[in-house]
Amino acid sequence: MTIIKKIPDKLGQHALCAGCGHGIVIRLIQEVLQELGQADNQIAVVGVGCICTATSALKVDRFQAAHGRACATAEGIKRVRPNVVVYTYQGDGDAYTIGIAESLNAAYRNENITMISINNTNFGMTGGQMSWTTLPGQKTETSVNGRDCELTGLPFHFPEMVANSQGFHVAYAARGTVNDVKSINQTKRMIRNAFEAQLNGEGFSVVEVLTACPTNWHMTPQQCQERISTSVESEYPVGEFKKRG
Amino acid sequence: MKEIIFAGFGGQGVLTGGLIIAYTASNLGLETVWLPSYGPTMRGGKANCTVKFGEKPGEAIGSPSMEEADILIAMNEPSLDYLEFCKKDCAVFVNANAVPESHVYPEGVDVTRIDVVELANEVGNVKGQNLVMLGAVIKKMGLFSEKEAEEAMCKMFEEKGKGAFNSANVAAMRKGFEAVS
Amino acid sequence: MAKELLKGNVAAAEAALRGGCDFFAGYPITPSTETLEYLSHRMPELGMKERFIQSENEIAAINMVMGAASAGARAMTASSGPGISLKAEGMSYAAHYSIPFVLLNVQRWGTGLGSLKSGQADYFRECKGGGHGDYHNIVYAPFNIQEMVDDMYEAWDVAEKYRVGVTMFSEAVLGQMMEAVEMPPFKKREKELDWGVDGTGTKGMKYPTGDGWDYVEFELEKYNRIIDEMQRWEFYNVEDADYIFTAVGLPARACLDVIAKLRARGEKVGMLRPKIIWPFPFLGFEELHRVNPHVKGFISVEMNDMGQMVDDVALAAKKAGFNVPVYCYPCGGGVPQVKAIIAKYQDILDGVLKEKY
Repeated sequence: MTIIKKIPDKLGQHALCAGCGHGIVIRLIQEVLQELGQADNQIAVVGVGCICTATSALKVDRFQAAHGRACATAEGIKRVRPNVVVYTYQGDGDAYTIGIAESLNAAYRNENITMISINNTNFGMTGGQMSWTTLPGQKTETSVNGRDCELTGLPFHFPEMVANSQGFHVAYAARGTVNDVKSINQTKRMIRNAFEAQLNGEGFSVVEVLTACPTNWHMTPQQCQERISTSVESEYPVGEFKKRG
Repeated sequence: MKEIIFAGFGGQGVLTGGLIIAYTASNLGLETVWLPSYGPTMRGGKANCTVKFGEKPGEAIGSPSMEEADILIAMNEPSLDYLEFCKKDCAVFVNANAVPESHVYPEGVDVTRIDVVELANEVGNVKGQNLVMLGAVIKKMGLFSEKEAEEAMCKMFEEKGKGAFNSANVAAMRKGFEAVS
Repeated sequence: MAKELLKGNVAAAEAALRGGCDFFAGYPITPSTETLEYLSHRMPELGMKERFIQSENEIAAINMVMGAASAGARAMTASSGPGISLKAEGMSYAAHYSIPFVLLNVQRWGTGLGSLKSGQADYFRECKGGGHGDYHNIVYAPFNIQEMVDDMYEAWDVAEKYRVGVTMFSEAVLGQMMEAVEMPPFKKREKELDWGVDGTGTKGMKYPTGDGWDYVEFELEKYNRIIDEMQRWEFYNVEDADYIFTAVGLPARACLDVIAKLRARGEKVGMLRPKIIWPFPFLGFEELHRVNPHVKGFISVEMNDMGQMVDDVALAAKKAGFNVPVYCYPCGGGVPQVKAIIAKYQDILDGVLKEKY
C-alpha cells in the first residue's frame, strides 16, 4: 500500500526558523480547508509577529492586520463576506497581549470567525521578550531573572477564559500541540472542528497551538519538544474546553 | 434674518419650541438653522437653542451661533443672561411663573410676560407651556401666520410619531396666540 | 424632492448610505454619537443589520472598517478628536494598503479630553497625515449641512477612484445643528472593484508591496493626481478686496456675516474658502492673484489656539505671488463671534495685531 501525502494547493514556502511550529500549523490549516472544499473560499487575517516571515506560505486571500487587531479586521471582512471562511492567524503576543481587547471582544460577541493562535510563550519576532503566556519563572529578554508573576500577572489562558466565563458563548475552544504525530493529528481535528463550526454558523471558534521557539528558548528542537510536553503542557493543558453543540 | 434664542431648564421644551420655529420657517422655503446647546448642558441643566431664519427666500444664514438675537424667550430667570447676545432693542418673552416681576431689564428691551403655567393648565396641557409661549411669540412678533405655525407643528410631531397629541398641542399654541391678541 | 430639516450628524449618516455606504463600525463619543445612533437603526431598516457594529473601542472600529473595505464594502467610521487619535494607527495601515474608506471627524476643541466646544484643532492631523508614515486623506471641509451631504455622497466615488481615505472635517456645531437639506437618491458604485479579498485569492489587495522605489513612485503618482484634480475653493467678494479672510467650516459662515457688516460700512473685504483642505487649494490663490493682485493681506480665522491652516494660507499666498502679510485669528473653542472677528480686523488695520507670516 502506498500512502501519498499531498501538499495542499494553497501552501507556499516560509522563512521561519528550523524547529518552529508555525509551519506545521499553517499546513494543517490548509489541509483542513482543502478537505472541507474551502481552499478557494478562505481569507486569512494575519497578525504581526513571526507570521510576517511566513505569509508567503499562505497562497490565499490574506490581509496583514495591524498588531493585535486581527480579530477586528476579520470581523469586518466576515460581515461583508459571510459565506467565506475567515480566520485569524496570530501569535500569543499579538492575540493575547496587545490584542487582548480585540480578541476577547470578538469572542464575547461570538463573531462567526475562527482564531488560530500560536502560543510559544514569548514574543518571537522581536527577539524573545515576555508575553502574557510566558511561564512563571521563564527567562526572556525582558524577564532575565525569570518571569515574576507578582509583578507581571499569571499566564494567560484564552481558550479556557472564553469557554468558561459567564457572558461568553463561543462555539468552540481548544488547545493542541504539534509535538508529535499523535498531537499533530489531534490538533488537526481541532482545527477541523473550528472551521466546521464557522461553516455551520455556530460562532466564534479558537484553537490555540503550543509551539516551540528554539531560537528564543535557546534550545534544540528536541529540547523544545521535551519542554512542551512537560512544563508548557502542565501550565497549558491540551484539550477541548468548549465542545461543539 | 431673524435670530431667536429659546432658553430655560432642561425639560421645559425649549429645544422643541425652537424646533417648531425652524420647521415653520423651513416649510415656507426660508433658509433656517437650529442650533441646540449640547453635551452636559442638555442633561438637566440650562438648555437653549438658537434659531435663525431668512425673512425672504434665498436669504442665507451666516454663523449659526448666538450673535445678536431679535427675540429672547426665557422660560426661567437664568436664561435672561443671554441678553448679552441680544440686540439692544430686542423683544424678551418671559415665563411669568418663573421670573419675578421685579426683575430689572436693560433699557430699550421690550418685555412681555406670559403666565404659561396657568394658560397651559386652562387647556389641560401642562406639558404644553413651551407651546403657549411659542404661540405668544409668533403672534406678537408676526413671525408666521397662526395657520402656518399650527400646520408646521402638527406635521413635525406627526413625523416624530407624536401626532396623537396634536389637538392638545394646537390648543396650547392657540392659548398663546390669544394671550397677546 | 422636498427639503428636510436634519441634524448634521444624521444628515451625514443618511447621505453616506445614499452614497453607497454599506458598512459602519464606531464607538460612542460626543459630539459625533448621533451618526452611530442613527445608523444603528437605519442600517437594519435597509436590510444591513450585520453591516453595523458598535465596536468595543475606536481602534477596533477602524480595523473593522479596513477589513470590510478590503472585502468590498463602502465602509465608514465616525468619531471626534480623542477617538480619532486612537484610529491613527489604523488610518496609516489603510493608507499603506490604499484602502478607500470614509472617516467622519466631528471635531471638538482641545488636546486630551478637551471640551465639547466646536473646534478645528485637528487641522494638522487630518491634513498632514496623523498616523505614522507618509500619507494623506482627502479632507472635505463643508460649511453647511447640504454641502456635507453632497460631499459625503461623493466621498466613496472619490475614495475608490484614487484608493485613498476620505475625511469629513466636521465640527461639533455642524454636527449638532439642523438645516434643511435635499437628500440625493441611493446609488451603488458604477464598476465593480478589481481588487480586494473575496476568498478566491484571485484579486487580492494589489497594492505595491515592499519598501522600494515602486511603492514610492506609486504613492507619488497617486497623491500628485489628487493634488491636480481635487483642489476646491469658493470666492466671496474678492474682486476689489483689500483684505481676504480665509476660513473653513463654521468660521467661514461667521466670516460671511463679517463681510456683510464691513462692506456695509465701506470696507473692502472678501473671503477665499477652501472647500477641501487636503489637497489645499493653491490653485485658488493663483486664481485670486489673477483676479485681484492688489490684496493687502490675508486673515485666517480658525477654531484652534495657535493657528494651523494659516501655515498653508501663507505658503499658498506666497506661491501665488502675493508678497503680503498673513494674519491669523485663532479663536479657541467655539464658533467665533462676528463682533470678535471684526475687532481683530480692526486690530490689524490699527497695527495692533501683527502678521504671523
